[in-house]
Amino acid sequence: MKRWTWLAGVLVATLLAGCGSAGTPVDPAPVGSADRPMPADTDVSGKLEQGGSSAPSCNPRQSLRPNGSIPPESTMDAIKKRGYLIAGVDQATNLWGFRNPHTGELEGFDIDVVKAIAHDIFGTYDPNTIRFKAINSAERETVLAGGDVDVVVRTYSVTCERLQKVAFSSVYFEAAQRVLVTEKSGIENISQLGGKKVCAAGSSTSVNRLAEAKPKPKPVVTNNWTDCLVLLQQGQVSAVSTDDTILAGMAEEDPSTRVVGPPLSEELYGVGIPKGNEDMVRFVNATLEDFRQNEWRDRFRHWGLQRVLGNQNPPKPQYR
Amino acid sequence: MTSTVTRHGPDGRQTASGPEPAGEPRGGRSGFAWLVRLPSAAVHGLRRSAGTTPGRLTLIGVGLVLLALLAGTVAGIQLGERKSTIDGLVDHREPLTAAAQEVYRSLSDADATAAGTLLDAASEGIALRDRYDVDIARAGAALAKAASASAGNPQAVAQVDVLSRQLPVYTGLVETARTNSRQGNPVGAAYLAEASQLMRAEILPAAKALYEIEVERLSEEQDDAASVPWLTGLLALALLGALIVTQVYLKRRTNRVLNVGLLVATIAVGLAVLWAAVAVTFQSVLVGSGRSSGSEQTDVIVRARIAALQARADETLTLLARGNGTAYEQEYQSSIRRLSGPNGDGGLLGEARDGTEGLPAADHVEAAVRSAGAWREVHGQVRNFDNGGRYKDAVELAIQTEGDEGATAAFTRLDGDLARGIADSRQLFLDDTTNASRALTLLSPGFAVLSLVAMLGSILGIRERLREYR
Repeated sequence: MKRWTWLAGVLVATLLAGCGSAGTPVDPAPVGSADRPMPADTDVSGKLEQGGSSAPSCNPRQSLRPNGSIPPESTMDAIKKRGYLIAGVDQATNLWGFRNPHTGELEGFDIDVVKAIAHDIFGTYDPNTIRFKAINSAERETVLAGGDVDVVVRTYSVTCERLQKVAFSSVYFEAAQRVLVTEKSGIENISQLGGKKVCAAGSSTSVNRLAEAKPKPKPVVTNNWTDCLVLLQQGQVSAVSTDDTILAGMAEEDPSTRVVGPPLSEELYGVGIPKGNEDMVRFVNATLEDFRQNEWRDRFRHWGLQRVLGNQNPPKPQYR
Repeated sequence: MTSTVTRHGPDGRQTASGPEPAGEPRGGRSGFAWLVRLPSAAVHGLRRSAGTTPGRLTLIGVGLVLLALLAGTVAGIQLGERKSTIDGLVDHREPLTAAAQEVYRSLSDADATAAGTLLDAASEGIALRDRYDVDIARAGAALAKAASASAGNPQAVAQVDVLSRQLPVYTGLVETARTNSRQGNPVGAAYLAEASQLMRAEILPAAKALYEIEVERLSEEQDDAASVPWLTGLLALALLGALIVTQVYLKRRTNRVLNVGLLVATIAVGLAVLWAAVAVTFQSVLVGSGRSSGSEQTDVIVRARIAALQARADETLTLLARGNGTAYEQEYQSSIRRLSGPNGDGGLLGEARDGTEGLPAADHVEAAVRSAGAWREVHGQVRNFDNGGRYKDAVELAIQTEGDEGATAAFTRLDGDLARGIADSRQLFLDDTTNASRALTLLSPGFAVLSLVAMLGSILGIRERLREYR
């Protein structure tokens, strides 16, 4: 009899062991979260280089009086002899300076300005008389200082600080810094962006103004404006803040976005010219006189800028 | 030694008394005590039997049989494993290294091609699109192969993990870029730059690490396959020595020169040792040459090919990056320096040229050096066009697929030369390593059979002598 009791004990123990929990099922490939990709050199640190506003105050609208003649030995004469105008432009900003993905050709409002200048130098329009050099925002001053280009037409705001290093033509477009958000975000004003991530391209006037906004947003700095649109589309920033002209191009590419808020600043676009080429400044101003009179409204409508910017008139030039 | 034995010889005639002490403790029912005493009793018994000549002979016989059994078994296992290691190099390890290389290469190629498809807006880039699709398909298939082999190697698992998680993200970005470009949105180029950034910052480093791990594993197994089988060698030589010593001893004891059994055993072991020595030496040399002129040259050419692909990606991205291209151009310069040195005659191609001298791949490497030089020239022209503002001419020269003056043609020639160099080097590895494996054919069972012959010979030889004491 005794022999059977211990066997019964073992059986009971086995059954009890079988009833207990055996732990949780193994997760064979645990992945907590996925890292979203980011454009190269995106700075999310939120730190900004404060641009030293040591420049003396000036009137950025004022430029030299126009003169459309091409005297021998002038800068324009040298360009004419060379056979082509070298223009520093943007290749990635929709509506202003961008390469049409279908044709591979550069197009945009800024490109139209370059074509007008080339037309006036060479007398006729011929694509071979222009050599475009694609540059980014940070390179604008460098290529002008190095004499690599004759003109820079690249949503280039005239500022007193820049006037120290670069000569500018008269103003050919008036823009204002605003904010691009997705339609469903419900954001109407930059004051609603406090603590949220807002994208701007480095070495631009917009990025400095972000630092002044109150309540302060978290700036995300990229190399190019298109990278900001990528970040907005990928949901990594809440807004893009820059000139309404550039934002208009982004809104054109993505119908789910809106340009909102009051103007934060006044941006005056001029043609950048190497400092010292005063004859060229006067010549470009003469071209712009004609451009503002005749082509401006047509190009404005052609690029559909009225859809975001409303109806505008060409700016009135001021001369010293 | 011999003198002590002779003195004890006549005394130890009572063989029957030997087992008795061993049997005694087992009779008493004192638990496990007998088990504890067993070793000392056995030693005691052995010493008792060693005291008599027939006892000694029995011990020698048993010793020879055990040694022959051990040597045969160890050699059978060790040489068998060696052969399967070598077969594994050809059937398993090298193809996996090639799979890891294919992951790395096809992804680099995809990076170089994706930018081209966007640049080639006018002709819609059908050829480039095909090439990109094939690259992604190949990378996926090769990744599955590499993943199946990575189990058990945590570093390889980590790389495969990165690759399999990021590759779909990459292709997603490329398709977003393409869709935007098709709709005329310039943001497409930004998506492509982002995809390329992901590829370069995360995917390619993982693919590179995975490839390096596989190369390391290949080289470790080649080390194994070329190592000296010490244990087999020592046991076989010990057996040979024991047989010779036994014969010398028997000759002294019995004055009889010839013992057929032991002689046969000695010849069998001698044959086995000789066969193994020749075969293993031959095989090690072949594995070594398969490595130095096969797999190591493959590695150098593979690295050259990837440097070329990265330079090609930089070349197209410089044009696509739209004003931000200077960084890519700098990377192009550093990649091309890695490929062919500052003057076009060094770098990885120079290394490959030195390494493949006199080998079948030499012609292809030589052609690759020339193609790389031609490509560098075309690239200089592309840069001149682009820097001079002639962007359309630059793009045309960089990506046109027709004609053979363009950068595409020069690069394709270079890539083809290197691919053929890799194929030849892999073939050399395969030939040498397969021959190495053939050198070991039948060695493992043959050694076992010869050991068995030695064992039987020893039994017969000792038995013949033992009989004389009956």
